[in-house]
Amino acid sequence: MRNKRLLMCLVIAILAFIVVPFCVNAEDKTIKIGAMYPMTGRAGLYGKDSVAAAEMAIDEINGKGGVAGYKIDATFTDSKVKPAYAVRVAKRYITEDEVDFLFGVVSSGVGLAVTEISQQYKTIFIGTDHASTRLTVDNFQPYYFRVSNNTFQSMTAGALYLKELAETKPWKKIAFIGPDYAYGHSQWDEIRYNLDRFGVEYEVVGEYWPKIYAPDYTSYITSILKDKPDVLISGFWGGDTVAFIKQAQAYGLFEKALYFHPDAGGNYELMSAMGAELPDGLVLGARHYNNWPDTELNRNFVQEFKKRTGRFPTYAAEGAYAGIYAIAHAVEVVGNPDDTEALVKALEGLKIKLPEDPEGFTSYIRPETHQITQVMAIGTTMPNEDFPPAKKMLGNWKIYKAEDLDPPAEYIEMKRKK
Amino acid sequence: MTMKPGPKYSAAVLWTLMILGFALVPVLMSSSYQLNLASHVLVWGLFAVAFNMLWGVTGMLSFGQALYYGLGAYFVGLMVEYLGSAWYLPAIGIGMLAVAATSFLLGLLVIRVGGVYFTMLTLAFGQLAWQITFKWYDFTGGDDGIQGITAPGFLQNPIAYYYFLLVLVMLSMWILKRMAYSPFGLMLRCVRQNPERVRFLGRRVRRNQLRVYIVSSLFAGLAGSLMAGIDNSIHTDMFFWTTSGEVILMSVLGGLNQFFGPFVGAVAIIIIEDIVGAWTEYWSLIIGSLIMGMVILFPKGLVGELHHLKLRMMQLKARRSE
Repeated sequence: MRNKRLLMCLVIAILAFIVVPFCVNAEDKTIKIGAMYPMTGRAGLYGKDSVAAAEMAIDEINGKGGVAGYKIDATFTDSKVKPAYAVRVAKRYITEDEVDFLFGVVSSGVGLAVTEISQQYKTIFIGTDHASTRLTVDNFQPYYFRVSNNTFQSMTAGALYLKELAETKPWKKIAFIGPDYAYGHSQWDEIRYNLDRFGVEYEVVGEYWPKIYAPDYTSYITSILKDKPDVLISGFWGGDTVAFIKQAQAYGLFEKALYFHPDAGGNYELMSAMGAELPDGLVLGARHYNNWPDTELNRNFVQEFKKRTGRFPTYAAEGAYAGIYAIAHAVEVVGNPDDTEALVKALEGLKIKLPEDPEGFTSYIRPETHQITQVMAIGTTMPNEDFPPAKKMLGNWKIYKAEDLDPPAEYIEMKRKK
Repeated sequence: MTMKPGPKYSAAVLWTLMILGFALVPVLMSSSYQLNLASHVLVWGLFAVAFNMLWGVTGMLSFGQALYYGLGAYFVGLMVEYLGSAWYLPAIGIGMLAVAATSFLLGLLVIRVGGVYFTMLTLAFGQLAWQITFKWYDFTGGDDGIQGITAPGFLQNPIAYYYFLLVLVMLSMWILKRMAYSPFGLMLRCVRQNPERVRFLGRRVRRNQLRVYIVSSLFAGLAGSLMAGIDNSIHTDMFFWTTSGEVILMSVLGGLNQFFGPFVGAVAIIIIEDIVGAWTEYWSLIIGSLIMGMVILFPKGLVGELHHLKLRMMQLKARRSE
């Protein structure tokens, strides 16, 4: 008897799952966005911050009455960081839910798979937080746009920083440590390409490739100490950065080499995780900072986010926020979200003022690559208790002009020819 | 003479219904997404049924069948990437040959041990292949995978590809089913139940194990190569142990002792994953509870319980007519 009742419950539950989605059909005049983010696991915080910031942007826009008479409606699905699953979700978004835009994605592997679908179905895909340069260079396709920096831009800024540094504090020997997968390797290739391009002389004394999510870096730290680089370039992201810095600090590594981490090192996640333990004098960069630039737009963005979620944002948040505004701008220009070709044209000429833009600069999309072009800042860790639980934040900023950071034409040509 | 609904007859009805059901998907679907879902079901179904030849039938729990699934997919992916999409169909064949050769060589090594040692060894080889694919960035694309894999000519049409898929999958399932109930299949069951006795009867345990290992891997490879054309992209995930784990789950859910059990398990898991994933970000909690519920309620698997129910009904009927 009990079995039967349980069975009934199960049947009802399953039916509910099937029926309910049909009942919540969205009203007519909406811009439909199908977003994919990881919500669990190591990258889960990036996904959650992205979702919160995207919802914040949507509420702001819809609160003002929407764009061109349309309200924005976004659906968020866990990408599970599995490309094959994300492909299925993207196809469902396009063919079943008939979304106007695909959106999101933290992992570049997932991004590369989704951009393929975007091209096949001619549906615009707005990338908000994956950094692989391949998406805008090698695997470029007309329906893809990215509204956050790629690794090439960070590494160019990084190379310029090192070039300037050589003038004040001579260095010669560099080493690299980063996760042993595409993201780590492309950073190392790109920084060397840029150092060569700027005519900086350097000697490589070591490359270290720990596994992603490795718990223990001791053996790498001791070999770094033995190889004695002047500058240690790092390509970690997320929890790996925290774990590495904690362990390296115990060996006094940061007194012997300059820790230089231009792409993801300056993420607020590191500051909040390490609090007062974070050493001073690390040179870090990221795609967005809570305390730079000191503009009204950025202050409002950071405080609003804090109000909504109770925590300060990591850089992923600003990417998603920018993505929603980019869509809104494009729809405003075109007047509707259905004319894909016109939207592509509108996005190609997009100029948009974002929280991470300093006074006097406006981010814009570069038409050849569909990559957003932005000013980049690199900072040094120092005490600052304005953003608890962090006790240290970045300061002493070095600013790099947006135009100087984009891949040069010959680089794009070389990569696309392959 | 009237045809009595014997076992032969009902099997034919089952096959017809199944093929007809899948063949009608492109006609009845309301969006091309359902076609995509049906394609996934077919490929995973084939992979799970092939896997079950190894585990359910012969009792060899391999935790590394993803190795062959990935190998099939990467043969197609790499050949299309480097040689052009005309190589798509030959790549399926060449991939299967490569899978057969690899599974023969590895099989010689891994079937020397039994039980949990066999499981661990297969897992180790599977992870080895994953690691190589992951690290050999210049050749395999590393964790970025390979994109833009398209089939040549008329197969570019998704509906044409779907029917191509349907024919190959049904043909493979038919071959596997024939095999499972042939004298060879009987021998495999004996190997599972009492290997000592098989030896006493003068039959070879290892040779049969090796044969079924190759057969199972071959069809896993075919499933992988067909998958490459559905998503048009492949990833190192296909080699990862979670992929092997997924077919194990499908087999358990559908029923190990039934030929079509794993297939039904694949249908159930893909549909549940799809509906729950679209509905909530707490998918893992819900899928976990659903599967736990199913395993507790239907310990013999979905098809196993159905079969059991049918037997009970027949018994009841027989008792009543007495």
